Amino acid sequence: MSSRARKLLAPARLTKWAVSGPPFVFLLLFFVLPGVIMVIASFRYPGEFGGLAPLAAADPNTLHGFTLETYRFFFSDLIYTEIFIKSFLVALATTLICLVMAYPLALLIARSPKKRRDLMVLLVILPFASSFLIRVYAWMILLGPQAALSQLANGLLGVLGIAPVHLLFSPFAVLIAMVYVHLPFMVLPLYTNLEKHDPNLLDAAQDCGANAWHRFWRVTFPLSLPGIFSGSTLVFIPVLGMFAIPDILGGTGDMLVGNLIKEQFLVTRDWPFGSTLSIMLTLAVLLFVWIAAKLGTTRGRYA
Amino acid sequence: MNHNLRALLLLLLLSGNALAEDVLHLYNWNNYISAETVARFEQQCACRVEQDYYSDNEEMLAKLAAGASGYDIIVPTGNAMESLIRQNALRPLDKSRLPRLKNINPAYLDTAFDPGNKYSVPYAYTLTLIGYNAEKMRELGLPTDTWAVIFEPKYLEKVKGRITVLDSQRELMAAALKYLGYSANDTIEAHWKQARDLIIRAKPYWAAFNASSYIKELTVGNIWLVHGYSNDIFQANLDAKKAGRKFTIAASVPKEGAVLSLDSMVLHKNGPQPGLALQFIDFMLDGKNSAELTNLIGSGNPNLDAMRYIKPEIAQDPAIFPDPQHRAHLEMLRDLDRNQRRILSRIWTEIKLR
Repeated sequence: MSSRARKLLAPARLTKWAVSGPPFVFLLLFFVLPGVIMVIASFRYPGEFGGLAPLAAADPNTLHGFTLETYRFFFSDLIYTEIFIKSFLVALATTLICLVMAYPLALLIARSPKKRRDLMVLLVILPFASSFLIRVYAWMILLGPQAALSQLANGLLGVLGIAPVHLLFSPFAVLIAMVYVHLPFMVLPLYTNLEKHDPNLLDAAQDCGANAWHRFWRVTFPLSLPGIFSGSTLVFIPVLGMFAIPDILGGTGDMLVGNLIKEQFLVTRDWPFGSTLSIMLTLAVLLFVWIAAKLGTTRGRYA
Repeated sequence: MNHNLRALLLLLLLSGNALAEDVLHLYNWNNYISAETVARFEQQCACRVEQDYYSDNEEMLAKLAAGASGYDIIVPTGNAMESLIRQNALRPLDKSRLPRLKNINPAYLDTAFDPGNKYSVPYAYTLTLIGYNAEKMRELGLPTDTWAVIFEPKYLEKVKGRITVLDSQRELMAAALKYLGYSANDTIEAHWKQARDLIIRAKPYWAAFNASSYIKELTVGNIWLVHGYSNDIFQANLDAKKAGRKFTIAASVPKEGAVLSLDSMVLHKNGPQPGLALQFIDFMLDGKNSAELTNLIGSGNPNLDAMRYIKPEIAQDPAIFPDPQHRAHLEMLRDLDRNQRRILSRIWTEIKLR
């Protein structure tokens, strides 16, 4: 590279730094730093009244310093692995249901005339105009035993001779609210992806003799994989950490890992173990995403 | 620019002057003092009461631990108060300025949390008991004087899916421990496991672990039986009456005993107005002022002088003012140490997952 070209590049580099600097500092302060604090906290003892036990204590008999006890505790009982698996299954189910529901909708929007598209996207994000909690509490009313939905479901079950069920305070209620809350996060990335597809590709496929199913399965679907992956990530990961929905709509068995972590900080006053659970969750998610990405690339190559 | 700045400074100074009257900072539970009581105190002291609220002890402790300050008075429950005392966060009371302290029933003084009441003055209490739809219980022939109705499958069969229990590790374990004949403060792991098994056996019959919406569910008639707080059940009954329901919501203290949560007024060490705070405490010790809260939310009242101002239907309610025989079985929850907290949390996770 000539020195002239380098001189020309210098201001460009400065601009790059100036633009990426603030978000970088923000992430450093509010993501990396807390992450490091969390890792350190996981190796310490809980304080008597909450918080952390001191690193150094005047009285050597009081707990202080670093320890592996939270990790030992985590692996000492299968119950924690069990709750992880359960949470992953709920997140997986939510993601799949969201995908199945969002795909046709995103396709419909992407293939509508330009004018109507914006309105439809607006309708998809409209629920965000009201508070998340209000929308979840609304499900309490919708699913309550006096509500039309419960009456209808139990009426049908009654005809079939099956005992009535309670919709509220059940795994079903948790799943339905999870899907409801996260659906737009699946629709939007899918739509953004599908909208960009070149219609000529489908015409070409048709000219080559592909029927509607083949045009979808061999052209549209493989091209939409990046949209599916980003949508799935946007649904899967928040669902894993969700604690409000199981708290409000869940029954006696609907504890997820998000609830467990929240409980360590707000009830049990055990910051080290809460940190350990968070770290194990992050590791599990990374592992999962890595496996999914691996599968994704092989599938992409095949297509 | 300079001119604007000066105007701004002047404005700040003026507003500072306007705020110069005394302000008492009260950090209290949600809805735990009547508006009339506050207004009367403000008039009497020629000061202003600034209120901040919390909905559970842990929230209050966490906020203070995170450095919140400037509160003159806090109203923690026994175990949270004990924790504040041990953290050296409270100011000892000058009892010479609390002449009405004699109004408090001695049964509520000198607790294990604050021997000799060096720091605290009892304010009000809540019981954790059984609340129920009286008509439904009669119809189904279920007993209402024992925890068995919450834990025994032979009773639970009749109310499957119509029961909620508190979403609280300590409270639910306390109920189970009491039913098994142990102390609510028992920390022997084998007893905890027995309680866990009892809970897991009963769980399939319960609709939910619930912390607050059971009030509404009782009122509407969706839920017939709850393990809940006396104030909440009182509220549910008021709401049911107001809505003209054909049933009444009642409460009873199980014969095996129950948890009593005594909330006390304490002075925070860093409160800027300790004199005014003492004045407030003595004001609240006046029977009339104290009774207003009980009349409003159905809280238990440790103030003997308050009894004559309390509505008779509340004063005679054994689920708010239990007879001496039931009172003997009430227990206040002690704080657990960190290892016990961790073990209990694991037991709780098992309960939730099984």
